[in-house]
Amino acid sequence: MPQEFSQIDRRHPRNDALPKALGLERFAADHYPEGLLWAGARRAGIPHARIRTVDVSAAAALPGVVRVLTRADVAGSNLQGIVHKDQPVLAGDKVRHCGDAVALVLAVDRETLARALSLVRLDLEPLPGVFDPAQALKKGAPLVHEGRRGGNVLVRASIRTGRGAAVLRECPVVVRGTFSTPMQAHAFIETENGTARLLPDGTLEMTVSTQAPFRDRFEIAQALGLDPMRIRVVAPYLGGGFGGKDGATVQCLLALAALHAGGRPVKMWWEREESMLAGYKRHAARLTYALGADRDGTLRALSCRIVMDSGAYAHLGGEVMALGMESAGGPYRIPHADIRGLCVYTNNPVAGAFRGFGAAQTAFAAERMMDRLAEKLGMDPLELRLRNALRRGDRNAAGVTMTASTGMAACLEALRAHPAYAAREAWKRAAPPHARRGAGVAAACIGVGYGRGLPDAATARIELTETGTFRIFNAVPDMGQGNASAFALIAAEALGQSPASFELVQPDTACCLPSGSSSAGRTTYTYGNALVRACGALRDRLLVRGAMALLADDTADLTLAPGAVRHVKSGRAVPLALLARMMILEDRTATAEFVMPVTPDATGGKGFVIGFPHLLFAYAAVLALSEVDELTGAVRVRRFVSATDGGRVLNPQGFEQQVAGALIQGMGWALSEDVLTREGRILNPDLSTYLVPTAADAPEVDCLAVDSVEETGPFGMKGIGEVNLNAALPSIGAAVQDACGARLDAAPLTPEKVLGARPRRARRTP
Amino acid sequence: MSRVHAPRGLAELLALRADLPGAALMAGGTDLVPRSRARGGLPEDVILLQDVPELHGITSGKGLLRIGAAATHAALLADPRVGRGLPVLARALACLASPAIRNMGSIGGNICTASPAGDTLPPLHVLEARVELAGREGVRELSLAEFILGPGRTALGPGEVLCAVLVPRPEGFSLQHFEKVGLRGAMAIAVVSLAAMLRLDGRGRVAEARLAWGSAGPAVVRCPAAEAALLGRRPTLSALRAAARHARAAVRPIDDLRASAAYRREVAGNLLLRLADLSSR
Ligand SMILES: Cc1cc2nc3c(=O)[nH]c(=O)nc-3n(C[C@H](O)[C@H](O)[C@H](O)COP(=O)(O)OP(=O)(O)OC[C@H]3O[C@@H](n4cnc5c(N)ncnc54)[C@H](O)[C@@H]3O)c2cc1C
Repeated sequence: MPQEFSQIDRRHPRNDALPKALGLERFAADHYPEGLLWAGARRAGIPHARIRTVDVSAAAALPGVVRVLTRADVAGSNLQGIVHKDQPVLAGDKVRHCGDAVALVLAVDRETLARALSLVRLDLEPLPGVFDPAQALKKGAPLVHEGRRGGNVLVRASIRTGRGAAVLRECPVVVRGTFSTPMQAHAFIETENGTARLLPDGTLEMTVSTQAPFRDRFEIAQALGLDPMRIRVVAPYLGGGFGGKDGATVQCLLALAALHAGGRPVKMWWEREESMLAGYKRHAARLTYALGADRDGTLRALSCRIVMDSGAYAHLGGEVMALGMESAGGPYRIPHADIRGLCVYTNNPVAGAFRGFGAAQTAFAAERMMDRLAEKLGMDPLELRLRNALRRGDRNAAGVTMTASTGMAACLEALRAHPAYAAREAWKRAAPPHARRGAGVAAACIGVGYGRGLPDAATARIELTETGTFRIFNAVPDMGQGNASAFALIAAEALGQSPASFELVQPDTACCLPSGSSSAGRTTYTYGNALVRACGALRDRLLVRGAMALLADDTADLTLAPGAVRHVKSGRAVPLALLARMMILEDRTATAEFVMPVTPDATGGKGFVIGFPHLLFAYAAVLALSEVDELTGAVRVRRFVSATDGGRVLNPQGFEQQVAGALIQGMGWALSEDVLTREGRILNPDLSTYLVPTAADAPEVDCLAVDSVEETGPFGMKGIGEVNLNAALPSIGAAVQDACGARLDAAPLTPEKVLGARPRRARRTP
Repeated sequence: MSRVHAPRGLAELLALRADLPGAALMAGGTDLVPRSRARGGLPEDVILLQDVPELHGITSGKGLLRIGAAATHAALLADPRVGRGLPVLARALACLASPAIRNMGSIGGNICTASPAGDTLPPLHVLEARVELAGREGVRELSLAEFILGPGRTALGPGEVLCAVLVPRPEGFSLQHFEKVGLRGAMAIAVVSLAAMLRLDGRGRVAEARLAWGSAGPAVVRCPAAEAALLGRRPTLSALRAAARHARAAVRPIDDLRASAAYRREVAGNLLLRLADLSSR
């Protein structure tokens, strides 16, 4: 029976739309506290070296320089990292990539800071480095981290299901391929930054562009030897995050600077080039696949080898790989699989979390293998996918059972029913001169939430204000994905109020309650669930207080109406503004917890710390319509049609923004984004050489939502911020091949590669 | 911090230029400012061109258009004498950078930057435009090829400014085309570009061809052999293929992050084939 909603599933403008359009929203970067000092890091500039000395005397002597700090000034473990703590705040004995910070300068202004940084004299003894995983895995290769049992191997993991890869030998049809995907930069508009100040009472107060304020406190405390409860982190709206602000960026350096600033506020703000150099990246990956099927297209066996480049430090390398391995077989039933992954240290820039989180890399390989299989079998690529699509109760290649909402087939069916799909051949035939058009389909899935091994929790807090409106204490940063607005909508629905009566407090560890990070498609799901509970508690409380005011026997005939508690039978009501005046703050406040349920599956996975397996998955099927210029090899995506299973859509506007944004970010990775390095040095460290798509590149995007309800989600939703990104590259790859025959297994699909990869027969045409 | 000077007329500008030989001229600043970022900041003195009326505006002279050096790309596009009268230039302006940059950046700045990838340069070459330079000693005129000496190098004298670009009005060039190959749809530096003007006779045969390539050598590349190969022929694929072979032999491209020299060479020729699509319409 369809549920009736008053707010959910209707278009609402986001709460931050107007303030952002007017330039009124204050991002962390907009904070300039009175009397601030500027902090900046001196970066190593070479990829692998032993540090002989760091001579700060000239820098410290420069007028306007307040302090110059080195490793010796760090009192704690000096190690940062979310799961594996291996990244020094300030490198002391060794440099492992060009972006390592070796000294921290505090100065009165930016010009002085820049001069002082150049005056820090580094005496570094260069060491031979390793710049790709294959080189790092060789016997006797230089070690990025000495004294580890695994050498340069950060994580080695494997998943074996059924009878494993041996079954390939029994398969009448087997396809093979080797794929590679590049390092990608998040390229958010607001680069990593924050401000910090040590208050007279010893509290360290920070405002940071961060995805994980609650975790930050512990990471900073451990690295610097502080009490986490004396650290307050405020996280305003972020000017983009995409995973790149999950984990320490400026946090520890900034806190260290504040400890030595004599109580003055300190600001650190990475320049674009510094953000490229020291910020995290999507793991470059190499994937070797074999996929076996029966003649009717039923998938039987999968073998895959995944090698990811972690760069100099771990960040979330193991977890990224876990997620990639979990969906290595795509959203399909494959009974026998052997999936192996290696995440390897090199002296390259540090890889970390990025929207798509490992599954983006494996989706490229898995989906292009499906295309290859369809070609070999003479089957329609969409039909082949549909035949094998996971349905509720099925197991995927990694042995994870889909026990929750599983709309993969529905997504493919919705795509097939879309007019653009039926019209694709006619569209191709209408190609302008010297252009070839092609259509490509891809399906994708991604686990929602942290996966097993770490509670995925959030704590909501909501209060009735003294004036009878509501205030939500959001504890999970909004990096642009719109979760804060979604919270107002969820609370409005739960309390039967208009969304305009909700005010949002953005994350602040001093008044919001501990919650996990803004990541993993879990942001709205987890906090939203906690909020629904908190709203329920608040409503019950208000009804009891209302009964008192209305002299009702009990709450049976009372409802919470917009702005009032009403007695349904008599029509009498007490305004919330009046009720609020009779309640103390504690009485007007409700809090509630939610911990994401986990899958009971114990699968054959080996080598994972956390992050495997998942209970919930989001699904998407995408059609890419692309045009290839025969004279230049340039690829233009003209249209994406996406059908997504994200459970129930809370706000179609927010849904569309996430779907289109993910597809276009994925398109950038497919066509032009590639962090180029030579011996660990980035060759394209700015936005005129590292090319993200512009508005002029953005195709038309049709965003369909399939009918789906995730029963465990707030009003039936689950996270969909990532899944479409994973389908962009394979669908474009398929469309390019369909257009001109160029089969490119190494992304990005640059004009030069496309022009060179067209088969001979196609090349003669111009 | 730099001292910023804003002269109100050409005479004042030339006087300042003589007094401050180390000063940078700044029109829109869209090249100067990003470039100085890498050099640790702007020079001590910056002279703005925005308030010098002699450098603005477009005037029609006898058989030519005089375009003020500080005219912005957006202003040029909005003027029908460029927008409709000089399609080869208008096409280049329309794909130069982005709307915001086109509102700031000037044609004079694009010329003086003398980048092999400057988008107005191939069109100005095929239009056989000349530049007007003013100094305290007077005014002189140079062809574009004389003015641009190599990447980032021009014949601008120490006390001089570029005042205007003089563009002869093209007569009878019914086919004008500009195409830039960039790595994205906007804000893309040319990997290779082509400006072409064809004058056709009554039977559709090429009576005159002017072709120029950007990002295909240290400066704009003209290729007389390719132009000659088209003479007397209709611009068909086979005629254009022959011209393309000459073009590929004439260009001197480099390898860089964006593309290899081999790709640039191949595409420099390929771009000519687009003219067949245009002439068949
Ligand atoms: C994001 C971005 C994208 C861009 N995309 C493109 C593109 O697609 N294609 C392209 O061709 N360019 C591009 N550019 C470069 C730039 O915008 C153009 O070259 C523009 O035309 C420069 O004009 P300007 O007025 O801003 O020059 P300025 O920066 O003011 O000046 C550039 C140089 O010329 C000198 N100069 C300027 N005017 C005069 C004069 N009258 N006399 C003597 N010297 C003078 C200056 O001293 C300086 O050395 C881009 C720039 C940016 C920032």
